[in-house]
Amino acid sequence: MRYRLFGITLCSVLLAGGCVQTRQYADMEFTPPAGEYKLLVLRPDITVGSLTTGGMVEPRADWIDEARTNINAALKAQQAGRGASALFVEHRTEVPGVSAAELAEVERLNFAVDESIVEHKYLGDYLPTKRGRGLDWTLGEDAVRLGEKSGFDYALFLHAEDQVASTGRIALGVIGLAGCFVGFCAPNVGGATQLDYASLVDLKTGQVVWFNVVQAGSEVPGIKFGDLRTPEGAAQMVERLLGRMKPGQSVRRREGKT
Amino acid sequence: MCRRCAMLDRRALLAGGGAAIAALGAGIAQARVKPGDMVPLVGPGFKPTDRDEQGLWREMERVEEEVSSSNLLIQDPAITGYLQDIIGSVGGPAAKDFRIYLAHVPDFNAMMFPTGFAVVFSGLLLRMRNEAQLAGVIAHESGHFLRRHMIRSWRDMKRKTDVFAIGAMIAGVAGGAAGVYTGDYVQLAQLGALISLFKYSREMEAEADAMGSVQMEKAGYPPIEMANIWQQLVGEQTASAAYRRKHRDRGYGLFESHPAPESRMADLRADAADVTVPGKAYDARRARYLATIGPIRQMLLDDQVKLNDPGASEYLIQTLAQDGWNGLLRFYEGEVWRLRNRAGDEARAAQSYSAAVVYPDAPADAWRWHGISLMKAGRAGEARAAFAKYLGMKPDAPDAPWVRQMMGA
Repeated sequence: MRYRLFGITLCSVLLAGGCVQTRQYADMEFTPPAGEYKLLVLRPDITVGSLTTGGMVEPRADWIDEARTNINAALKAQQAGRGASALFVEHRTEVPGVSAAELAEVERLNFAVDESIVEHKYLGDYLPTKRGRGLDWTLGEDAVRLGEKSGFDYALFLHAEDQVASTGRIALGVIGLAGCFVGFCAPNVGGATQLDYASLVDLKTGQVVWFNVVQAGSEVPGIKFGDLRTPEGAAQMVERLLGRMKPGQSVRRREGKT
Repeated sequence: MCRRCAMLDRRALLAGGGAAIAALGAGIAQARVKPGDMVPLVGPGFKPTDRDEQGLWREMERVEEEVSSSNLLIQDPAITGYLQDIIGSVGGPAAKDFRIYLAHVPDFNAMMFPTGFAVVFSGLLLRMRNEAQLAGVIAHESGHFLRRHMIRSWRDMKRKTDVFAIGAMIAGVAGGAAGVYTGDYVQLAQLGALISLFKYSREMEAEADAMGSVQMEKAGYPPIEMANIWQQLVGEQTASAAYRRKHRDRGYGLFESHPAPESRMADLRADAADVTVPGKAYDARRARYLATIGPIRQMLLDDQVKLNDPGASEYLIQTLAQDGWNGLLRFYEGEVWRLRNRAGDEARAAQSYSAAVVYPDAPADAWRWHGISLMKAGRAGEARAAFAKYLGMKPDAPDAPWVRQMMGA
C-alpha cells in the first residue's frame, strides 16, 4: 500500500515533466532587425526521426521533408511580417555572387562558433572574459565578405531536431507507468524531444548578434508539444525560437532611461 | 514464502545465465564466411525503398556534401580518377554508382558510407605495395555496400535495443511485483546485448572480406593480396609497439568491431584459395600503381615520418624497400633516424642521406641534409657541393639564404 501511494504521487509529478525551455542572448548593442532588410536563411538543418522502443533515433525522410516545408513556410510568413525580404537557400550554389566553397567555409565557421556559444553560454563553462558583455562572438571577415558579395544584411542559421516517440516507446512508458502500482515505477523512460537553435549574424560587421535555443522534452513518452510535421507545430517552433527577439542589454538600458 | 523466493531466484538466475551464455558464445571465433555464399544484395542504380533506409540515406546526403567539399581531400584528378577506376572494376553491380574520396590522413583506413560513397585515407596509398592490394581494400569496402551492411546492422541494433528495453522493463515490473531486485540480471543482459552487437559487426566484416575476394578475382587481381595486406599491418603494429616497449594489441576481444588481424589473414588466405581459378593469369598491376602514386609518394612518406612513430615508419620503409631501394626511401630512412634521435642515430641518418643521393631520384632535401651531415663531420668542401646541388634543384627554397651563408662560411 505504501508503495502504491508513493508510486501514484511520483507519477503525477513526472506527468508534468514535459517542458519547454528557451533562453536567448544578444549582442549588447543589438536591435532586432526592422524596416526593410535583406535576410539570408542558410539551409535550415532539420532532422525529424522516430524514437524507437530501445531509445535510438531513426531518421525519417518523409517527415524531414514535411518539417522542412512547414518551417520554411512559417519562417517566410514571420519574416515577411517584419519587413524582411528573405532568400531561403537549400543548396550551397544558390547564393548569387558567392561560390559554394565560400559559403561552405562560412557555414563551417558558424557551426564551430555556435558550438562555442552553446558551450560557454548554455552548458556552464562560462568565460570570465565574456561576463556582462552579452553575446560577444564574431564570424569575422568571412561573414563581412559574404555580405559584400551577396548584398544581404543578415544571415540566419537554424537547426531543428525533433524526435517523435514511436508506438513502441509509448508502450514502454505505459508499462513503466503500470509498474508504479507494484512498486517499480519507471514512467520516465524519456519521450519526444525537440532541440532547436538559431543564430543571427550581422553581415555588415560579422558579429553574431543574437542566439536562441529552444529545448522541449517530455520524460513520459506520448506527451506531445508542437510537432514539426504539422504547419501549426512548425509555426509554434518558429514563434518560440524567433518570435520575441529582445534587444541587447545596452539598448534596453538606454531605452529604460529615456 | 521462502519457497516462492527460491523459485523466483532460480528463474532469475536462469535468465541471467542465458545472457551469460550468449556472452560466451559471442567470444568464440565465428566460422569463416564462404566467398561462394556471397552474392550482391543490390543491383545497379540501387535506391532504398524501405522507410528506415530512406531516412538513413537522407541523413547521409548532407554528410556526403560535407565530405566531398572538405579541404582535407586530395583533389589530384589523376589519383582520384584512378581510385574511381578501381572501384569501378571491383564494385560489382554497383560499380557505376560508387563515389570515392581521398582524404589526406596518414593512417591505414578506408570506409564505406550507407549511400555508396567511400573515403580512403592517404596512409593507405603509402602502405599498399601494388594495385591489387589497394583494390583489395576497396573491394572490401564495396562489399559492405553490396551486402547492405549499414541498414542490416542498424536494424540489428534497433531490434536488440528494443528487446532489451522491453525485457528490462518487464523484468523490473515483474521483480517489483514479486519484491525481488532484478537490476543485476538486467545489467548482465545488457552486457549480453552489447556483446552481440559487436559480434554482429565482426560478422559483417567477415562477409565484406569474402565478398571482396570474389570481386578481386573477377577483376583479375590475385586474391591472395588481400591476405598480404593484413600480414603487413600485423608487422607494422608489432614494430610500432616494440619501439614503445609494448605488446601489440592483438585485437581479440568481445568488444572488437573488427575480427583480429590474424584470423582475418587466415580466413582471407582460405578465401583466396577458394576463389582462385587454377591456370588463370592474375596481375597485381604494380607498375601502374607506382606510376600513378609516384607524384604524391614523397608527401605520403613525409606525413608518415612526421607521425613520430619510428617503429612503424621504419617497418613501412623496409617493407616498401623489398621491391627495391631508391633515393626517396633512403632519404626517409635517414629522416626516421634523425627524428628518433637516439644514441648513434645521427651517424645512421648521415649514412642514409649519403646513400640516398647516389640514386637519381633523390629528393632535393636529401642533398640538403647530406650537406648538413658533411658539414658537421668537418667535410666543408663536399658539403658545399651538396648544398650547391640542393639549391640547383630547389632555387626558391625558403631556406636558400641560410644555405648560401653556410656555403660561404
